Amino acid sequence: MGNKSVLLLVLLFLVGIVLKSTFFEVNEGRQAIITQFGKPVGEPITDAGLHTKIPFIQEARFVDKRILSWDGYPNQIPTKDKKYIKVDTTARWKVVDALKFIQTVRNESGAKARLDAILDSATRDVISNHNLVEAVRNSNAIIQKIEEKKEEIQRMKAEGKPVIEEGVSGEIEKILVGRENLSGMIVKSAEPELTAFGIELIDVQLRRISYEKSVESKVYERMTSERQRIAQKIRSIGQGEKAKIEGRLERDLREIRSQAYKKAQILRGKGEAKAVKIYAQSLSADPNFYQFLKTMEVYKNSIQERTKFLMSSDGELFKFFKKIN
Amino acid sequence: MNNDWDRAKADLQKGMKFVVPLIGLLFVVGLIRTSFYTVDPDEEAVIIRFGQYVGTSQPGLHFKLPLGIDDVILVKTKRVLQQEFGFRTRNTSGRRTTYDEKNFDIESLMLTGDLNVADVEWVVQYQIADPFKYLFQTSAPERNIHDVSESIMRRVVGDRLVTEVLTTGRVEIATEAKDLMQEILDKYDMGVKVVTVKLQDVNPPDVVKKSFNEVNAAKQEQEKVINQAEEAYNRVIPEARGKAEKLISEAEGYAKAQVNEAEGDAQKFSAILTEYRRAPSITRKRIYLETMESILKKVKDITVVDESVKGVLPVYSGKGAINGK
Repeated sequence: MGNKSVLLLVLLFLVGIVLKSTFFEVNEGRQAIITQFGKPVGEPITDAGLHTKIPFIQEARFVDKRILSWDGYPNQIPTKDKKYIKVDTTARWKVVDALKFIQTVRNESGAKARLDAILDSATRDVISNHNLVEAVRNSNAIIQKIEEKKEEIQRMKAEGKPVIEEGVSGEIEKILVGRENLSGMIVKSAEPELTAFGIELIDVQLRRISYEKSVESKVYERMTSERQRIAQKIRSIGQGEKAKIEGRLERDLREIRSQAYKKAQILRGKGEAKAVKIYAQSLSADPNFYQFLKTMEVYKNSIQERTKFLMSSDGELFKFFKKIN
Repeated sequence: MNNDWDRAKADLQKGMKFVVPLIGLLFVVGLIRTSFYTVDPDEEAVIIRFGQYVGTSQPGLHFKLPLGIDDVILVKTKRVLQQEFGFRTRNTSGRRTTYDEKNFDIESLMLTGDLNVADVEWVVQYQIADPFKYLFQTSAPERNIHDVSESIMRRVVGDRLVTEVLTTGRVEIATEAKDLMQEILDKYDMGVKVVTVKLQDVNPPDVVKKSFNEVNAAKQEQEKVINQAEEAYNRVIPEARGKAEKLISEAEGYAKAQVNEAEGDAQKFSAILTEYRRAPSITRKRIYLETMESILKKVKDITVVDESVKGVLPVYSGKGAINGK
């Protein structure tokens, strides 16, 4: 009995080894190639699940089926307009022909080395054949926007409103290709080489584009001076507005004052004229008597106390000093 | 020797009596333990059988095939996940959130359409819409989201002026970035839904910040200067208007007074004239004398000079003569 059970155990063990060598799992996101003594056999297996092969003779090798990422090393590239920029790209790729892939690059790290070389040179070619703006902007919408803004400023100026202009220094260059299309061009130029490795390039993204350190400081200097210029302009517009208001103040003030003076004088004149007319009408009834009356009044009102008075005795008042009757 | 062997065999057989049930028990426990699983409310579970995807299960208690036949991968699908750009949150457990002090300028510095530099920080919030695709469509989903978002943000900012990026464009940039990101992630078919893209701090680079602030200060200054001028205008002009009205009213008063006085005087004269005409001579005399009386009463020193007294000093001293009357 003892011997039998030992034999059974050994047999079970052998069966286990054979099964393990026959069945193999293909995980989701992976694909497998069966090789026989190192030579690929049949089509790649791309369905996930349990599969079989001839035990011991055949071997399963796995390749990723998912979209893989490639991260490029930031490159310093001069653009066509001689601006030194750092371009940092990423790409997504996947293995579409596992057989070719295994034969040509063996594995992912082998593929990465090829991608580095191919994508770097493609990026370099495309970037250095275009002006910087082509890699920065994607459309000419910005130019249209500036035009619209200019029109608006013109309109506001025409309406006499104070305008704060934050103008753009220099001309905004028109682009012909644009950022997305540059990415597309990189993909297009790298694609044929990568097909040979069984790789499909899904996209290349220009992740970061930045100025070279030395260029950067110049750009900052320009930005600073541009801002200072704008600040100065804003200030002087303020001063201009102030002067305008002050002018308006002076004008309105003078107008108000002079008009009031004019009106007052007219009113006074009219009043006086009326008075003159009334006096003339009434007094002309007996000018002589008026003269007499007014004279008396003047005497009364104009001779003050302490006035020294010298009178002739010939006057009406003192005629009785000399003689009665 | 033979004895030892027998004894060992006996021990083994004795031991087997305990070991076999023990192994059986462990087997049963393991069987039960691996045949169910729970899914938390914020998760979904992806079930993999022999490497192959068989389904997704919702929160709750579920059964599966035991002993590693079914594999369960839990994915937090309900949770809104976040990636940060230009900064990293370090700790949110305290009263105040702390941030990593490391500089992430490389992520946040980007070129604007007018070739200036802006420092843009933002977050992307996303949800896993399809756990299976999220797990198996791409090799590094989070890395992809990060790369794509960086690339897209630069593309969106690259189509705008620096002033727009820093001020009015925030909402528009965020929305556009979100839509474009989703478009690209959908192309990868990686089961991610972008919930929102939010711009955080958007600043000019540190070096030029001062000059940007100067522009803001200039704007304030401009407003201040204009306001001050307006204020002066509003202070002076209404007062001048009031004064003008006063002047006019005064003139009106003056004119009316002139007319009234003239009319009064005229009527008075007419009245007196009527009576005077009845006895002109005596009235004249009376008025003359009355006037003289009132004058001489006030006068302190009066000298009457007579024509016939020649070469002699005046004789009558008014004091005694008249005042003493």
